[in-house]
Amino acid sequence: MDVRIAPQMSVMDKLKILGDAAKYDVSCSSSGSFRKNDGQGIGNTVAAGLCHSFAADGRCVSLLKILFTNECIYDCRYCVNRCSNDVPRASFTPDEVCELTMEFYRRNYIEGLFLSSGILYSPNYTMELICETVHRLRTLHRFQGYIHVKAIPGADPILIQRAGYLADRMSVNLEMATAEGLRAVAPNKHRKNILKPMRQIQEGITENKNEITLYKHAPHFCEAGQSTQMVIGALPESDYQIMSVAESLYDKFSLKRVYYSAFVNVNEEKDLPALAGGPPLLREHRLYQADWLLRFYDFKVDELLTADRPNFNTAIDPKADWAVRHLECFPVEINRADYHLLLRIPGVGVKSARRIVAARRFGSLTFEDLKKIGVVLKRALYFITCNGRMMYPTKLEEQYIVRNLTYQNQMGRGEKLPFMTDGTTYRQMSLFDMAGFG
Amino acid sequence: MEEKYLVCEDSLEGIFTGIYDAYALREGHEHVHIQVGEEENLRLFATYVHIFPDPVKTEKVADTLKVRLGEHVYHSLCRAAASCYPDKGEAVYKTVVDALTAGSGSRVMENLRNPYVARCFELARFTANEAHYEIEFLRFQELANTKIARDGVLFARIGPKNNVIPFIMPHFADRLSIENFMVYDENRRLFGVHPAREEWYLVTAGDAFVLKDPAYSEKEESYQELFRAFHRTIGIRSRENRKLQRQMCAYRYQDYMVEFQQT
Repeated sequence: MDVRIAPQMSVMDKLKILGDAAKYDVSCSSSGSFRKNDGQGIGNTVAAGLCHSFAADGRCVSLLKILFTNECIYDCRYCVNRCSNDVPRASFTPDEVCELTMEFYRRNYIEGLFLSSGILYSPNYTMELICETVHRLRTLHRFQGYIHVKAIPGADPILIQRAGYLADRMSVNLEMATAEGLRAVAPNKHRKNILKPMRQIQEGITENKNEITLYKHAPHFCEAGQSTQMVIGALPESDYQIMSVAESLYDKFSLKRVYYSAFVNVNEEKDLPALAGGPPLLREHRLYQADWLLRFYDFKVDELLTADRPNFNTAIDPKADWAVRHLECFPVEINRADYHLLLRIPGVGVKSARRIVAARRFGSLTFEDLKKIGVVLKRALYFITCNGRMMYPTKLEEQYIVRNLTYQNQMGRGEKLPFMTDGTTYRQMSLFDMAGFG
Repeated sequence: MEEKYLVCEDSLEGIFTGIYDAYALREGHEHVHIQVGEEENLRLFATYVHIFPDPVKTEKVADTLKVRLGEHVYHSLCRAAASCYPDKGEAVYKTVVDALTAGSGSRVMENLRNPYVARCFELARFTANEAHYEIEFLRFQELANTKIARDGVLFARIGPKNNVIPFIMPHFADRLSIENFMVYDENRRLFGVHPAREEWYLVTAGDAFVLKDPAYSEKEESYQELFRAFHRTIGIRSRENRKLQRQMCAYRYQDYMVEFQQT
């Protein structure tokens, strides 16, 4: 054990170092758990979650996201806290974390605590520290807000179970989509060790659900489920590989969320990509869009991507991309189509589809009504009819629709992306492609 | 037939009393309208009737709406009535007519083909969204020990467009049940007050009331400083995106949030 000599650090310095070290963890949601206050302490949780602020990068700040310590015995090549990096190191004490959480929470700055950690001495030692902190927060301070903790791979199952009964959500990061990828960048981590706690938490949640059915007041185990995250663009994995992994995590491990994190080369590692144009944000965005299609729109990965077409189209979103390649399903009659077909129309989301189904009981809907319901007509108009009529005379033709959709993008009137792009197009336009010249 | 305008006070009571009187007229609903606040441009060939809010009539209307349409629709109507737009009275009134008289009943909020229902839905949604944002973005500050306020009282100022205090107080009353706190709506001069372990209530400030800068507790400044530092460090520099930040959290909320104040 090496000895580090550092002056006593103030909470402010620690917060700066350990907040900075935690910022590459994507998950910050506070959703999935619903708990009323019991009148003994402060806090409750809201099913939909609350975002209390937004950082300069536009990501939400919902939880006090900090590492317990940024000391680490591992040497993962993508990570800023790896042991071979010379960065200032700091560790909180359990009391400091509790005090910060309670005082921030009272002032409505945060929705709860997200506690992760570098590996100090051993996985067990670290997990024990995390458990101790959360235990103090729950019992001594009677904190009833949201708590998200990391399960440290390799820690004793007993400790993970203990943490699960104290936290609302737990997560284990998968880091890389493939086992080979993980081996290449994180010599001390093994996929097997990551999947083990994930399976344990999943089984714990199922078991706990049965217990609660029998005994109403049984303690909750990870009420808000578990999540994970994958780094995107550090290794040459295809979108198809990444989405297939995500799908199997949802199906086989019943995860609540899979997060995708565009790779930032913090260590200027020469074997990892340099990414001159900044992190691959557009790719990350397309993966999230596809993720939503899996979870809320009944899509399967094999419908969106195939082994011959392993990456998403950057010019149009995955749903529109699916629609233009399946024009045999369109146009859809809004007044007749069932809910699942409505969900497949570009420009119709979950809310508008529900509203359409409810509103058409009262009589047939027109395009004017759809606008009020919230359908994005500039995207939907190529794919729908109202009472047998299309909104404008349009062609049901792949090239024509794609050209129109991307043309709107170029004019800044199309798809709203959460960041600036350089206006890449699906296909180079030439004069001879224009309608009148065919 | 001549158009008839019922001019009501800008409050839930005013609008509900207006609805009661509109039904009491028994003249059908096609030519009867509810107008909130004072008339600006008088119309030709229209009569104006001033309605004074009446608690008994309000109670009757509220009970009928709750029983016949359910709590869900009733709350939507209340949210619409708390809107900042002057056409809310007419929208709520004609929505009630659609539900009770045209027969859409408890499903009325789904009948978005009706333009009044669609408008009422839109107003209710705006109030609900704004209330949600205030629940997220409101910031409490701890007051110092004074004669009026005991130590540890939390105080928050907000400046919403709609009257959201009645919709955000239940959330905070549950969450901070053991705290003394108040929320002050600057645009309406309205306080929501919650004494620890008791029911919350509303207080309207008189016209002469001016909010002086209150004295804050000793620790308040240091926690604000800590949160500002945390907020600065948590953003990833290579992903900086101020436009997205502004989209997710509008300037009008940022004005009241400690992490966006320059010190």
